Amino acid sequence: MLIGIDVGGTFTDGILFDDGRILAAVKKPTRTDNLQESLLAVLDELLSAAQGADIARVVLSTTLVTNLLATGQGERTALFMLPGYGLPHKAYSVTADIYFLQGAVDFRGRVIENIDSNQIYAALQDIKQKGIRRIAVACKFSNRNKTLEQRIRDEIVKFDPNLQVTISAEVSGKLNFPRRAATAYFTAMTITEWNRFAERINQAIQARHLDAEIHILKADGGTMPLSASLSNPCETIFSGPAASTMGAAALSRDKQNSVVVDIGGTTTDISLLISGEPLYASKGARIDKHFTHVNAFAVRSIALGGDSVIRCRDNSIRVGPMRIGAAACFGGDEPTVTDVFNVYYELGVGDAVRSQELLESVAQSSQMTLQSLCFFVVETVIDRLKRAITEMFTEWENEPAYKVWEVVHRRKFQLHRIIGIGAAAHAIVPILATEIDVPAHIHHYAPVANALGAAVVRPTLALQLHIDTASNLYTTDSGGLSGTLPDPRNFQLSDAKVLAMSCLEEVSRARGVEKYTVNASFFMEEQFNMIRGWDRVGKIFEVGIQVAPGFIDEYQGVSE
Amino acid sequence: MKPTGILFFPAFDWAISPTHPEREERLLYTRDQIFEEGIMDLPQIREYQPGLATFKDIARVHFCVPDIEAQITEAHLVSAGSALRMADAVVTGEVKNGFAIIRPPGHHSMTVVHGNRGFCNINNEAIMVEYLRHKYGLKRIAIVDTDVHHGDGTQEIFWDDPDVLFISFHQDGRTLYPGSGFMEEKGGPLAYGTTINIPLSPRTTDDGILFILDKLVMPLLEEFKPDLVVNSAGQDNHYSDPLANMCFSAQGYARLNQRLKPDIAVLEGGYSVESALPYINMGLIMAMAGIDFSNLKEPDYSPHKFKEPAGNREALQRIVDTQLRVFREREEKIALTRAKSDRPFRMEMRNIFYDTDYIHEQQRVEVRMCQTCAGFRTIVSSARHPSGREYSVGCVSIPFGACSECQTEGQEAYRTLQQGNTQLVYLQNKIADEYRVIDTRSKQETRL
Repeated sequence: MLIGIDVGGTFTDGILFDDGRILAAVKKPTRTDNLQESLLAVLDELLSAAQGADIARVVLSTTLVTNLLATGQGERTALFMLPGYGLPHKAYSVTADIYFLQGAVDFRGRVIENIDSNQIYAALQDIKQKGIRRIAVACKFSNRNKTLEQRIRDEIVKFDPNLQVTISAEVSGKLNFPRRAATAYFTAMTITEWNRFAERINQAIQARHLDAEIHILKADGGTMPLSASLSNPCETIFSGPAASTMGAAALSRDKQNSVVVDIGGTTTDISLLISGEPLYASKGARIDKHFTHVNAFAVRSIALGGDSVIRCRDNSIRVGPMRIGAAACFGGDEPTVTDVFNVYYELGVGDAVRSQELLESVAQSSQMTLQSLCFFVVETVIDRLKRAITEMFTEWENEPAYKVWEVVHRRKFQLHRIIGIGAAAHAIVPILATEIDVPAHIHHYAPVANALGAAVVRPTLALQLHIDTASNLYTTDSGGLSGTLPDPRNFQLSDAKVLAMSCLEEVSRARGVEKYTVNASFFMEEQFNMIRGWDRVGKIFEVGIQVAPGFIDEYQGVSE
Repeated sequence: MKPTGILFFPAFDWAISPTHPEREERLLYTRDQIFEEGIMDLPQIREYQPGLATFKDIARVHFCVPDIEAQITEAHLVSAGSALRMADAVVTGEVKNGFAIIRPPGHHSMTVVHGNRGFCNINNEAIMVEYLRHKYGLKRIAIVDTDVHHGDGTQEIFWDDPDVLFISFHQDGRTLYPGSGFMEEKGGPLAYGTTINIPLSPRTTDDGILFILDKLVMPLLEEFKPDLVVNSAGQDNHYSDPLANMCFSAQGYARLNQRLKPDIAVLEGGYSVESALPYINMGLIMAMAGIDFSNLKEPDYSPHKFKEPAGNREALQRIVDTQLRVFREREEKIALTRAKSDRPFRMEMRNIFYDTDYIHEQQRVEVRMCQTCAGFRTIVSSARHPSGREYSVGCVSIPFGACSECQTEGQEAYRTLQQGNTQLVYLQNKIADEYRVIDTRSKQETRL
């Protein structure tokens, strides 16, 4: 049996899944001051529903790191930056506690300026005085050569072994120094708290004598074992929308182009499945206005949900953005978006009479008929959703391309359907689909699609290998691998692909997900001849290989 | 404040040949540098996606022999199309200015295209300029060619056009391909003074080029008052360029663009792919976006690295004086030419060499000495292609500013040329935006 738990901002959802069926679903309000409690309460109910049956895997999606970062509760962290030449220092603003240090590496991974121990010492003195105990170190092009970052870490540890250091090359090896620095900084800021949380979860699981794999859901729609998450807390952010999107993919399981509309109480999240594959945000997840290297789905959130309250103010109707409580038809004190759809389309959801009564009173105070009030709200909601969807298409179509082939073969997005998930989907999504003139897909598991998504997705791992045969060096963008080639002169693309696969296997072993590398596929194969004068002096290869988001073999769809 | 548009199209799957300077690797390190810097994430920058130029966009400038398909690859359509996308964004005001970092390049391509010259098949800037004049009705445009090689293609295309000010500074043609761009080349008889060449001696430094910019280029632009300024942005004046001998730095390029303030910059040459391009492209982007570039430099650069060649300042001052005079007396000279003109056409014979494809082309060019407009022109061209086939074509170009008489006579010339012994006859009617080719044997005519 499989368990998936999604700790959301308002509710924690959990499901127990086996053999194509959800055996139990649990929903509890989230205690934001104690996520662990909320999570374990849901887990315990699911375990009792399992009646002692074997649990193969538990996957958790939590907002712990997201909350820490969003509320600014992370511990004060310093950022040591080695920007070398290029943008001015004032371009970097992730924190006020930045120390700019000497030392530079170029795009080929050559050290073009050395570090200065005295300068590092002075920075550390200053940090000590300020009482800062965590440091992130980021050097431009450290993804091509991390020795300067490592040497700075050595200097820091020598100065005070109790200082906690994160170096950017070990957090991400992708190009984009500001994003890598931000990711390292946010990692340094949250890693202790995350590890504490992970340890408590681990203890709680052990106390329950569960012999299950414990995985954490990542923003990219894949999982990682709890142990692997310890060094990558930032990968856990925005896992909620990932759970929903993967849940939608789990319920549809085909190659169609879909918009996933997850209508929660307060917000609606919109994401895209292109030929069945979730679309990623091209610039990585954004934390506190800063782009990061956390691979996340492209999700557009709008402050409009099923529980968005309908009020009259200054003679005009306001739709949300607040949530006061449940919809009137479910016993809430004020009418909401759900109530409007309930009345206008005669859906008969919950206590429909109560929906109508409370809406009547708003209509009266705004001197409108009930009919025109409902019409106005429906128009507003549909309009905002439609606009958000259109914006997403346009963004996807306007993604840059760097090869002739990509430009000539550019596809236009053709929408096949809308998948509605979340509690309020069944009221709103069919109307939206009619407006856009595509079919709506709303599975009866739609209200718990997020927890289902968490329960059945497989681990993901993406790795980009950069090989420079002239300097006889290779580096990977995740896992921090690097090395030299046995025979750089005769190295071919086919060798590069073999090397990429073996790197992926090595990183998978370290992460405890080696059995999933059979699902690996190449997503990038580039080679460049390096010509100096008129002679070839080497080649540069960029090979990308990944275990893409998908489902574990045990999951073969839902049975109804 | 509006952002700066960047369109980065490195054509990672296109090369002239595997070891050619114009190969896949050319913008690889530039990609590394600008992506590592996170340039595209900045609020001052908006990234644009490449586009495709249409055959009509190309026919607005070129006579491709025997046809457009034969002269271009898809990469050329994307490169030219990307310049058009960037231009759209600038002219419609989405961005304050734009930089198209694109390849293949274009500034050596002339009106008639038999093959590749100087790594270029079609002229991206010229296609962009004529597109802007057609689509948005722009009239006066200035092109400042900052490539180390003389922009002979662009010069030839706008040679008889008094509304396009073409300024090129480059390493002296006696020492570098294509061997032209001397001060004596000042434009056609009715477009005298709107072609300005500035041959520079080898090893000219930042100081020298910025002197030319401040004392000559900027005053010319101020007096010409163009609707749009285009930087035909080659990057091979750099001290590390393997194909040229100048001593310009990334800081120099950034300062040049900061002062020139081009509306659109389009990448041209530059083959120091590792030591120069990543830094120059950063410098250009930062200068155009108004980002402080004082922290930018090549790892091996120091401000005292190069000294201006002795006597260079005096030589540059003479160029400034001469060219300012040429420009300022242009209307007077043109009026005089018109008044004294005793023949209806001015004829010129010329030979054009295509270095990449090793083609020798012979041309006979005639411009109508019109009393009211700059005249239409006809070109009769012949060349043996690498395939061994000999082509002879007749071309008529009716420019945007043509008077009604030139339009009528141009149409007439199209018919007359069909009686001659050329295989193909072209009509490029920019006013009607209509482009025809007729096969004189089969009498089959195609229109765009």
